[in-house]
Amino acid sequence: MASKKAAAPPGAWTRYPCPYCRETLDSVEAVKSHVLERHAAESLPEPEGTVHITVNGQAHTLRVEPDWTLYYLIHDVLGLTGTKLMCDRGACGSCTVIVNGRPVLSCMTLAVECDGKQVETVEGIAAAGHPLIEEYVKHHCMQCGFCTPGFVVTAKALLDRNGSPTEREIREALGGNLCRCGTYPQHPKAILQAARILREAK
Amino acid sequence: MKKFTHISARSIDEAVAALRQYGDRACLIAGGTDILGKMKDDILPRYPEALVDIKGIAGLEFLREEKGSLRIGALTRLEDIAREPRIREKYSALAQAAGRTASPHLREMGTLAGNLCQDIRCWYYRNPNNRFPCLRKGGGRCYAIEGDNRYHSILGGSVEGGCYAVHPSDTAPALVALNAEVRTTKRTLPVEDLFGVDVARTTVLDSDEIVTEIRVPAPKAGSRSAFLKFAIRKSIDFPIVNCAAMIACRNGAVASSRICLNAVAVRPYRAAGAEKTILKKRIDEPLAEAAGIAALSGAKPMGHNGYMVQVARVLVKRAILACAG
Repeated sequence: MASKKAAAPPGAWTRYPCPYCRETLDSVEAVKSHVLERHAAESLPEPEGTVHITVNGQAHTLRVEPDWTLYYLIHDVLGLTGTKLMCDRGACGSCTVIVNGRPVLSCMTLAVECDGKQVETVEGIAAAGHPLIEEYVKHHCMQCGFCTPGFVVTAKALLDRNGSPTEREIREALGGNLCRCGTYPQHPKAILQAARILREAK
Repeated sequence: MKKFTHISARSIDEAVAALRQYGDRACLIAGGTDILGKMKDDILPRYPEALVDIKGIAGLEFLREEKGSLRIGALTRLEDIAREPRIREKYSALAQAAGRTASPHLREMGTLAGNLCQDIRCWYYRNPNNRFPCLRKGGGRCYAIEGDNRYHSILGGSVEGGCYAVHPSDTAPALVALNAEVRTTKRTLPVEDLFGVDVARTTVLDSDEIVTEIRVPAPKAGSRSAFLKFAIRKSIDFPIVNCAAMIACRNGAVASSRICLNAVAVRPYRAAGAEKTILKKRIDEPLAEAAGIAALSGAKPMGHNGYMVQVARVLVKRAILACAG
């Protein structure tokens, strides 16, 4: 019987956490009286697996499963199909998105771990009128174009941190992106030009 | 991926309690770049029932110099370590190793403690859908002995009957060379002693133990460190062999040195032979070359990986020369 259980040792995991404040209690009864006492006036707690995530400036509150990746959430749930999935093992860079300023691989990030995060995808970069998009088109940095969103997002993260990167810095930053068509030489040209446009606009 | 429970720990106590509750059926997740790949490929004979996320624990991501040592929180990202000017200058081997790991994206995600605690590399062990039931999975044999072993151990198996897999960490040899120590929820131990030769594990940590911090003592005056990596590609690749060295010189001669190779065995390999060869001598090219040969004197290459012995010798030589300046 739960009520007969001895008090849990400090830090022990009990199966009776308060759904509001995560305080752990000894029994279901204890949780009930705790909730009535402390949280009676609050609205219902969010179900487990709820994440608050801001994608391209738009806030979403979504229920996610533990095994959903951030890629699945962005591409399949939110329908932002610009983010592409190629290797699904973190080895190609196609699924790159910016999370809190860092370029990360959305295929190797669990959606449930993105609660409270700011995510930026290639759609957001295009909507903001970033010069990278125009320069990528002008410099023809793609053949099949499947890897391109990953390159653009990685380049955007680089330009956010470093407004005047050298060609070497660009090559190093893009080191995690693979392009099967071999368009590599064009990318630094487009990014250098975009950086120039951004600097002039300031 | 198959279904699992996700537990988001808010404190170390909560994470430890969750690990205890699940016994060895739970795994920790921080950067996730190794564990998620293993789960997607379904290579684990015992698929974890729960993942315990420790990213939400405050106070585990920091980088600071204190009382002559560098303190790095377990959750500190590799990219932050590689970019930090103080580390590049004073603890160069660590900055170079962190900067050569995987790809920029993976370094933005992956943590230092995760890089140390990652699982071994072997294409039989890692083959998708658990195709090769090898020794590590409770099977009867090591497939690398008779199979294609071009990326396997050149220093023998880890246990009787095999496991010729290699430890692929880039930061591990750098931390061994820099004489760093690991702090966990239970103990403090040198990085060198963190790696286990047990067939079921790669570290000596218990299933409910969590690395919290890595401490690197400030290098002695007059010492230098360097890290070198040989891989097929410059980015997004594991090492075929890597080597880190820290050498302190006095009056032009080597006063002390620590040289460590990795990806040559199931755990980082301290090149004691090389350290002995250069002690109290002035570094020049012939000496560095002799040290490289001495470092690998105990090598037992397999059918396809004899080339790794030569690569390792050259890396030891170049690392020593890089420390000499």
